Amino acid sequence: MLAFIARRLLLAIPTLFGVLVVVFLLIYVAPGDPVQEMVGERADAETIARLRAELRLDDPLPVQFAHYLGGVVRGDLGRSYITNRPILGDLLERFPATLRLAGAAMLLAATLGISIGVVTSRFPGGWLDRLALGATYLGISFPVYWVGLILILVFAVQLRWLPPSGAGGVTYIILPALALGSRSIAFLARVTRSAMLDVLGSDMVRTARAKGLGERGVVGRHALSNALIPIITVLGLDFGYYLTGSILTETIFSWPGLGRYVVNAITRRDLPAIQGAVLFLSVVFVLVNLLTDLLYAKADPRVAYD
Amino acid sequence: MSTDRARQVLAAPKDAVPPVPIPRPSIVPSSSNLPVRRWLLPLVSAVLLLFIGGACRGGDASPERHTLIDSRDTYDPRSLDPALSTDVPTGRVVAYLFDGLTGFTPDAALVPALAERWEISSDGRVYTFHLRRGVTFHDGTPLLARQVLKSFQRVLDPAVKGGRGWPLFPIRGAREFAAGQAGTISGLAAPDDSTVVITLEEPLAVFPKLLAMPVASVLPDSVPPDFGEHPVGTGPWRFVEWKHDDYLRFVRNDSYWGGAPAAESLMARIIPEPSTAVAEFEAGNVDILQVPEGDTRRWEQTDERSARLQSAPALRLYYVAINTQRGPLADVRVRRAINHAVDVQTILNRLVGGRGRLAAGVIPPALAGADTTRAPYAYDPELARQLLAQAGHADGMTVQLWSSTSPPFPRIAETIQGYLSEVGIRVELVQRDASSMREAARKGDTDLVLKDWFADYPDAENFLYPLLHSASAGVGGNVSFYSSAPYDSLVTLSRHESDESLRDSLYARADSIAFHDAPMLFLWFYNDLYAIQPWIEGFKVPVIFTGQRWLDVSISSPARP
Repeated sequence: MLAFIARRLLLAIPTLFGVLVVVFLLIYVAPGDPVQEMVGERADAETIARLRAELRLDDPLPVQFAHYLGGVVRGDLGRSYITNRPILGDLLERFPATLRLAGAAMLLAATLGISIGVVTSRFPGGWLDRLALGATYLGISFPVYWVGLILILVFAVQLRWLPPSGAGGVTYIILPALALGSRSIAFLARVTRSAMLDVLGSDMVRTARAKGLGERGVVGRHALSNALIPIITVLGLDFGYYLTGSILTETIFSWPGLGRYVVNAITRRDLPAIQGAVLFLSVVFVLVNLLTDLLYAKADPRVAYD
Repeated sequence: MSTDRARQVLAAPKDAVPPVPIPRPSIVPSSSNLPVRRWLLPLVSAVLLLFIGGACRGGDASPERHTLIDSRDTYDPRSLDPALSTDVPTGRVVAYLFDGLTGFTPDAALVPALAERWEISSDGRVYTFHLRRGVTFHDGTPLLARQVLKSFQRVLDPAVKGGRGWPLFPIRGAREFAAGQAGTISGLAAPDDSTVVITLEEPLAVFPKLLAMPVASVLPDSVPPDFGEHPVGTGPWRFVEWKHDDYLRFVRNDSYWGGAPAAESLMARIIPEPSTAVAEFEAGNVDILQVPEGDTRRWEQTDERSARLQSAPALRLYYVAINTQRGPLADVRVRRAINHAVDVQTILNRLVGGRGRLAAGVIPPALAGADTTRAPYAYDPELARQLLAQAGHADGMTVQLWSSTSPPFPRIAETIQGYLSEVGIRVELVQRDASSMREAARKGDTDLVLKDWFADYPDAENFLYPLLHSASAGVGGNVSFYSSAPYDSLVTLSRHESDESLRDSLYARADSIAFHDAPMLFLWFYNDLYAIQPWIEGFKVPVIFTGQRWLDVSISSPARP
């Protein structure tokens, strides 16, 4: 197991290097100039030339990249051109907010999505199943910003049950987590349902019923635990995406997470901030994927990593 | 008003609300940026109408809080370091925490601040500022003249990488210092602890206004490396806390030299999505709101809401810069034809909620030097066609029109495209994010570019010089690359002229030349529209963005039964 983890982490290094190269080149070919963003609307050519020189933006591209890489290897992501703050600090400051939101959304998705999936799989074709099917269609189809706004208008402006936006206590996280998780809830419900239907129709379940096991044991112990692999896949993928910042949800709910940091960095052409953020998010993504793989082994003893 | 009144409002029948036109969402895909905003406003108007029926749920009762809450910032300030104040959120906060030698009122009048008074030498080059006595920084240290000098040096210091030296460049020796060619700034002197003498390279009438800009704030002696996160100034508010992308908190400076602010504390929330800011306002969680353009009619047409509105002319011009150096656009007849071809009033009414006044020149009517009698170019497609024919383009021509992807620009650009095609000008739309667009425009790679410009300081010079003087071509702001010797000499003269009325008439003449040369498609001067909660007293919509420092704003005491 440990050898597996070590191997996966080592393999991640070339991946991350590739990510850095691609991001570096993309930023280089994209139009827009960080120095023009630093000086604002009114400027003069001398100041711009001086700043370019100081930031070494006129160096050849490989030199710039080597310089940046040198910092990364030493654990230094540099300072933002725009705010002059250390980038790693900025990322670490925002990551907890993103983690909380992603965690809450996943929790909602896991509890609601799996429950709906299990319940509907017990009555395929029944009214409950069809109702849930319709609801999950809507959940998958509605864009997150639309769902987010409706939630704000209904629960914050109209009913006054919850705050419209911002970060604070538990009440603040409910609406954004619902908006963010709505797609996952729906998707997970459908995946769970079909996985459950597969398993419920299998010989193993028939045997379990034949030996007199109660419905609860059949569905919970035998069927669900055997339907877990696709569920973990969906959970892992979605969690990875959520952890890399949910730009739309964070924007609508004024949630101070990584997604908005990345967008701001991009709109201001804050090169080191963009690179630092992408690197950071790639590391998070690699780790979540690794975790998902480890969970596979937990869920299915046939999957072994040695 | 009382809580009972609030209940009545809440209980009002929902069908009592007049129908509100629902804007049509634009169908043009954006190339980058968030697609969310262009969809949200129309959606919100529609959804609000359906779900809420127009009743304003804010209530009239005061909230049980003593903190003023602002909702205007849509992104995090760069820093709280005055040297980095190049954008609106940063400049606004710097103005809360710091003072300059001079300052602005909400009405954009120039007033003494840290300098109690000043004298100008007869040749207009030497300014002697007398500092106010007894002023202390938030850390208790006294204000001294040498700190003014050090603060200005710091802004220009290459090591600070501020990038905004231009407001101080008029000082003699400032450019050399910024370029690293001189160790000191020769034009700065402090003969004693309460006097600052500034010598300029050449006379510049607007100089005292430049000193009221956030970048010219005065800092204490000790400026540690993390000063941008833990600022210490002399301003009316002291810094408490900054949660990035979330909010900033301030507490009043009880020993402020100008009198402590009326409210105990102030919070600036950062709300990126305008629809969310509206929801926060309706929930009573924020005290002021910049009403989104798409929501204007909905607010104006509901009595309960319109009572809370306050409008003020912003020193902000919307225009399409016409690159006067490119192909057929070098011909003034073509540029005038463009001005006659577009029905600007209709665009203003339909796309910006009528919030503005047609521009006939670049000087906003709120500023001295504006000629309010000058009529804008009339919408006259026939005349436009004739002018194009005279210029040899009877068969039409093709130009590119650049715009950013942030609302309302794309829709304005699309509409202008439509009008121009009516007179035979084929327009290729190029939509880019603001950064790419600015870069292309500054390089001179654009034919037409739709943009806006708002004032850093309230003076006609802030429009005439950066937008159209040939010395500002490109990065300086003149992306029309307009170059007219008579215009340049009038503007240069006005910059040097110390007599105010003479200066204003020079401004007006320069503006008139530019108007007739049409280096831009003149659109409109924008009006700010704010909604203010009924429990807020003393708030005035600022004409210049740093002008409202919440000094006289208070929350009326909670109405209890």
